[in-house]
Amino acid sequence: MTRSKRIQPAIRPVDLGKIPEARLFTLKNGVPVYLINSGTEDLVRMEFIFSAGKIKEDRPLLASTTNMMLSEGSKKYSSARLNSLMDYYGAFYKLSAERDKAGISVVLINRYLEKILELIREILFLPRFPEKELNALMKKRLSWYLVNCDKVHNIASDQLFESIFGKRHPYGRKLVPEDFNNMNPSLLSDFHKKYYSPSDMAVIVSGKIRKGTASLLNNYFGEMHPGAVCSEDTVYRMKSLARKKVHKNKSGALQTAIRIGSPTINKRHPDYPGLKILNTILGGYFSSRLMKNIREDKGYTYGISSSVSSLDLSGFKVISTEVSKKHTRKTIDEIYKEIRLLQKKPVGRDELRIVRNYILGEMVRMFDGPFAIAESFRSVWEFGLDNSYYYRFVKKVKTIDPDEITALAATYYNTDELHEITAG
Amino acid sequence: MIKYYRFCLENGLRVLVHEDKSSPLIAMNILYDVGSRDEDPELTGLAHLFEHLMFGGTSRIPDFDKPLQLAGGENNAFTTEDITDYYITVPETNIETGFWLESDRMSDLDFSQKNLEIQKSVVTEEYYQRYLNQPYGDALLLLRSLAYKVHPYRWPTIGREVSHISNVNLNEIKEFFFSHYAPNNAILTLTGNITPDRAFILTNKWFGPIGKRNVKQRKLPKEPVQKEERRMDAERDVPASAIYKAWHTGPRRSKDFYVLDLITDLLAGGESGRLYTKLVREKKLFSEINAYITSDIDPGMMILHGRLMKGVDIHLAEESINQVIRDLKKRYPSDNEMEKVKNKFESSVIVSNSNILNKAMSLSYFELLGNTDLINNEIYEFRKTNKRMVAEVSAKYLNEENCSTLYYKSTRKD
Repeated sequence: MTRSKRIQPAIRPVDLGKIPEARLFTLKNGVPVYLINSGTEDLVRMEFIFSAGKIKEDRPLLASTTNMMLSEGSKKYSSARLNSLMDYYGAFYKLSAERDKAGISVVLINRYLEKILELIREILFLPRFPEKELNALMKKRLSWYLVNCDKVHNIASDQLFESIFGKRHPYGRKLVPEDFNNMNPSLLSDFHKKYYSPSDMAVIVSGKIRKGTASLLNNYFGEMHPGAVCSEDTVYRMKSLARKKVHKNKSGALQTAIRIGSPTINKRHPDYPGLKILNTILGGYFSSRLMKNIREDKGYTYGISSSVSSLDLSGFKVISTEVSKKHTRKTIDEIYKEIRLLQKKPVGRDELRIVRNYILGEMVRMFDGPFAIAESFRSVWEFGLDNSYYYRFVKKVKTIDPDEITALAATYYNTDELHEITAG
Repeated sequence: MIKYYRFCLENGLRVLVHEDKSSPLIAMNILYDVGSRDEDPELTGLAHLFEHLMFGGTSRIPDFDKPLQLAGGENNAFTTEDITDYYITVPETNIETGFWLESDRMSDLDFSQKNLEIQKSVVTEEYYQRYLNQPYGDALLLLRSLAYKVHPYRWPTIGREVSHISNVNLNEIKEFFFSHYAPNNAILTLTGNITPDRAFILTNKWFGPIGKRNVKQRKLPKEPVQKEERRMDAERDVPASAIYKAWHTGPRRSKDFYVLDLITDLLAGGESGRLYTKLVREKKLFSEINAYITSDIDPGMMILHGRLMKGVDIHLAEESINQVIRDLKKRYPSDNEMEKVKNKFESSVIVSNSNILNKAMSLSYFELLGNTDLINNEIYEFRKTNKRMVAEVSAKYLNEENCSTLYYKSTRKD
């Protein structure tokens, strides 16, 4: 091999360029539909979103159970029939209830669009919540829950959310087996009536959008009376537990799960992009400080990461890993050491350059293809933001300097405020 | 239709290119024709451990990840019983960095003792995290050892036991590299924003100079035909008992493959699958149940497993599974049900092909199978299956004497 051929190729600047904008189309009854038209295959993805997440529930499991029961029988179809039709038309649907939002997303081949819209309308607006199916679901959910209770990473995560958001707040509340006995059809109907209303719905359509899609949406969802937006929500107090260190014992565990975290700012805060960059350096990519130290230098773990996430009423950051019992203490000490290092010593130029380009590359991936664009759109839209958030983010990535990162580490990673959870 | 170009370098490297201008990225996938089936029975887990070492840098490029991250790229890898697959996605302008990195680590590696020791420890933690410290985590490991007596599929990719991983030494690692990592044992696929011409020029420039190597000939013991049913009981501290069943099937290239795939879709495709409908929804015997084929290149398995609801007798639960299986052999599925699983299969292929990285992985794998056109023909192959074939293939494979059953019993009292 000649030498010249081995010379490292020049690296060209990575840039996000222009983000494809979603086009807003409003149904006759006012429901907003966001259209993202691109893609190579004859597919579309549709997401129907409601503010019907956990934050709206007055008892544990109500939001998720209402959501899961939507496809367990409607006015026109039994649960078995609904599911076999969805499968017959080759559609992949997913119901979900998160902390703030809930709804359904479906990926389908264009030629079955009309059939699927009819089924989605049944699922979202005409559910029956049959008691027999509800009881069966709760039994199943209890058995899934019991398996999850045996996993150290679940034990630690549940405890962390309780520790940072409090025992009563829907963001933090832990489940107990008795919660699975507390559901009944009328609770679900009430919740559904209040929170699955067209007046509160938004639709995001992405993929190869055929002509006529918008008018079909109007036929199936635009004629409905929008209904009222519910305004009688309970307001919960969010309060972190005083005790910062909690250990949950799990006899016989080979590994200990570690979660270190705290509540933090969300996407609406001007410091958020900077905090995300700081998080990337700490534990947000494969060459992060935590990965280099705890996996690649010490071999204590298969993986360690840190993340920053946004919620409507708060945000949180968490460092997560699983390690052999004998390495638990050393790992925790190293985590704090890395945090303190970021607070004291400015990040070097080479490292910052890598992080900048890595994040810019990630952003290109975040907008690669219609479904990715739709996800990225949703994750700003739900905070009342738009693509200008991403342009601000890019600008911050390109201009942030080491001192700013040090200052952010001091502000947002105050070690006295971090909750330290271990399970194992 | 997915259009692709294929060429082969003098050193034996096979290259596939599919241009998709809709993406700002390029996916680069390198499949090495080596997996855990190529391991010594006393040194299992080596192929996967080796995959970790491929990220340890070389004498010329001490850190694999950083230059790629600097180029805005992302990468990862996985190991199966049959293959080891490395992939990168990177903005189109910086694809040459990918070529530089991948060709470098194909040339040779920096085998350092320190890196080996650390990755042994990382993989041991992976073994705990993914298998031994998870409820039911060892079940498929046990099932595999019950179903296979001779063929290397009897051990899992992670290794038969943790001690195999800790016993590997540097010489064994080097030997593994030079006998399996070679241009003539690899398939390079590029998809996304790249023209075939550009791919051709760059591949020649970066991979062309790497010499052909003597790849170890694969001589694997053939698994003898199973003649009687096998059973195993395991007792574990888990919340509920579970049943695992495995039937031997044909190889990936067998004509029965898509029929078996369709059978598992009838059984467990989506919420409307027969197992879920009958045993979870109607009879309420299981909290979850699943069936799939392993898709291995050598004769593989159809696996079925379910977790029991509290208080359900395990024999009764097994009998209910057997009933569903008997029904498959006895009664033809309805036209509607056949059409349903075929439509669903078609959508899943289309969904998978909407992503450049999936397309790159599929192309590489189909090329290895010797039938690259499957990228476009798979739906047709699947559609060819009819209900008579379903009954015949069920009768051929899904028999007691061809089956291994694991009772994974909960010891928990409450």
